[in-house]
Amino acid sequence: MSLLSIKNANVIYKVKDTEIHAVNDVSFEVEQQDSVGIVGESGSGKSTLAMMILRLLPKDTSVTEGEIEFDDRELLKMTEEEFDKLRWTELAAVFQKSMNALSPVHRIGHQMMNIYKVHCPNVSKLETKKRVLELFRMVNLPERVFHLYQHELSGGMMQRVSIALSLMFNPKLIIMDEATTALDVITESQILEEIMKLQKELKLTRLMITHDMSIVANTCRKVAVMYAGCLLEYGLVTDVIASPRHPYTIGLLKSFPNFKGERAEIYSMDGNLPDLSRLPEGCVFAPRCPYAQKKCFTCPPQTVTYENGRQVMCHFEGGNNGIQY
Amino acid sequence: MKRFLLKRILSGVLIIFISLLICFVLIHAAPGNPVTILAGHDNPSPEMIESLTEKYGLDKPLPMQFVNYLGTLLKGDLGYSIVSDKPVVTLIAEKIFPTLLLALTGVILAVVIGTMLGIYAARKKGSRFDVAVNSISYVFDSTPGFWLGLMMILLFASTFKLFPTAGMVDLRAGYTGSAKVLDILHHLFLPLLTVTLIQIPRFFRIARSSVIQIMSEDFITTFRAAGMKESQIFRDYVFKNAILPTVTLFGISLAYVLGGIVIVEIVFAWPGMGRLLMDAIMKRDYPLLMGIYLTLSVSISVTMLLVDIVYAAIDPRIRYE
Repeated sequence: MSLLSIKNANVIYKVKDTEIHAVNDVSFEVEQQDSVGIVGESGSGKSTLAMMILRLLPKDTSVTEGEIEFDDRELLKMTEEEFDKLRWTELAAVFQKSMNALSPVHRIGHQMMNIYKVHCPNVSKLETKKRVLELFRMVNLPERVFHLYQHELSGGMMQRVSIALSLMFNPKLIIMDEATTALDVITESQILEEIMKLQKELKLTRLMITHDMSIVANTCRKVAVMYAGCLLEYGLVTDVIASPRHPYTIGLLKSFPNFKGERAEIYSMDGNLPDLSRLPEGCVFAPRCPYAQKKCFTCPPQTVTYENGRQVMCHFEGGNNGIQY
Repeated sequence: MKRFLLKRILSGVLIIFISLLICFVLIHAAPGNPVTILAGHDNPSPEMIESLTEKYGLDKPLPMQFVNYLGTLLKGDLGYSIVSDKPVVTLIAEKIFPTLLLALTGVILAVVIGTMLGIYAARKKGSRFDVAVNSISYVFDSTPGFWLGLMMILLFASTFKLFPTAGMVDLRAGYTGSAKVLDILHHLFLPLLTVTLIQIPRFFRIARSSVIQIMSEDFITTFRAAGMKESQIFRDYVFKNAILPTVTLFGISLAYVLGGIVIVEIVFAWPGMGRLLMDAIMKRDYPLLMGIYLTLSVSISVTMLLVDIVYAAIDPRIRYE
């Protein structure tokens, strides 16, 4: 059974007279205890999608459409009060730039206790502190962090604080938005190891947003490839990486250096992201697609679903028209 | 903290010394001296000038005079005013209370009102209130204090006759007790309004912009995602972060007002140090001038020290070790 099911999600940012289509008709499902990585370049709408699920988009400048079903409840239709009860207890997040994840002028322990009290106001101070220290142990942080300030910790330690904070109420779903991007590779891989261990122990479901395909390959079971607000390809990591079906995924995979093999020049895609305030008539990727045909510029492609829940949004997917990738 | 305090006090003393030195050089570089003024304009007697010059030690070389002044200063003696022959301490003591009353109350009121307006405007960013107060703040920020003072007198004192035009007490009434306090407050209103109105815009703008900036920080997103109520986020986290620049500005403003209140005091004939300072400058009354500058630089140094201590208490990122 799926825990999170997103159907035709759209986010439009309204800035003065222009409408920016940041997320366009994205639909996919996330199974219970699954791990899904969302990859894409900057501006592809992956963070906006995360903020949409968390209902943290600015209300005055953004419009959301579609359905987000979470644990049999419709998130976008809930009242603010109903959703507040869900926040952090079932739906938690680790945000980018964890060096600024907490207030710089308050002690870390104090802030964590304050957040705990939001949902458990009647628990004693001692119990609350116990819980916070327990969380520190889970992410391998020393107890003294409780009395420290944010600037007294390293980037890796603050990352662990953020993760500890997100685990506070054993949430069902954790969204990690570029959670390890700012770290060095060694700390990053340590923390990713720990995250996967914790996910197993706590039976979490994880949505991981990153622009690093290798992180997704190593830590997620499924991958969603986003481009210009559209979900171009979705499926099991093993399927997608072994045989990418969308030209963009092919390009993306080619643009990472091969660890073994010979040192070839890394592939880089020509062109830029399209202007999201004026979406093209046809496929969003057509202007940069090396295989684009006339049809691609005039008619938007449909998303086709295949085995293992794999989705591809391309006119010529799978060589239907004899195109060799 | 102890070492910091000691270091900070020492640097304060050094700053006071340097400002005294600059002041000393400047006033002696100005043309004229107190003796010629004492001797009179019409038929000055050369013998009197000579004897007075010698009496006040003005015949000695400048560095010598400065050392002499510091020597007596270290003994706690600010000397005598050349023009009025009263002790400088007495002259300043008579005038310091009205100045502090006006300057301190003005800045404190401006901090409270400006910060409250700024916070409110930031939380209603883009609203009519925000736009209106923002525009008004620019008007008052670019208004000279003496002109605003004159307009206040014109409007509230001359036209509506609500407040007195000048002074601190009604000399003819001779009030005592609570009636005197009320009378002072009545006289205080217009000059205070002027000082406060001139100071509000800077506090308004710094509070507004720092609240807006803090509201867009990443940690606010964390608290929102955790389901904390906006009011609690603001009360517990935004305020303490956003108030830091205001603390700094408070120190700077107080220093600025203490030195710059002169003109407002003159417009309202407020019996403060401003008047005393102007007279001392006009008559080249060296000991009195030095005494006033000393008082100003000591109070500014003390304010800055207090601001630093308060800042360290609020912001853990600043540690004095």
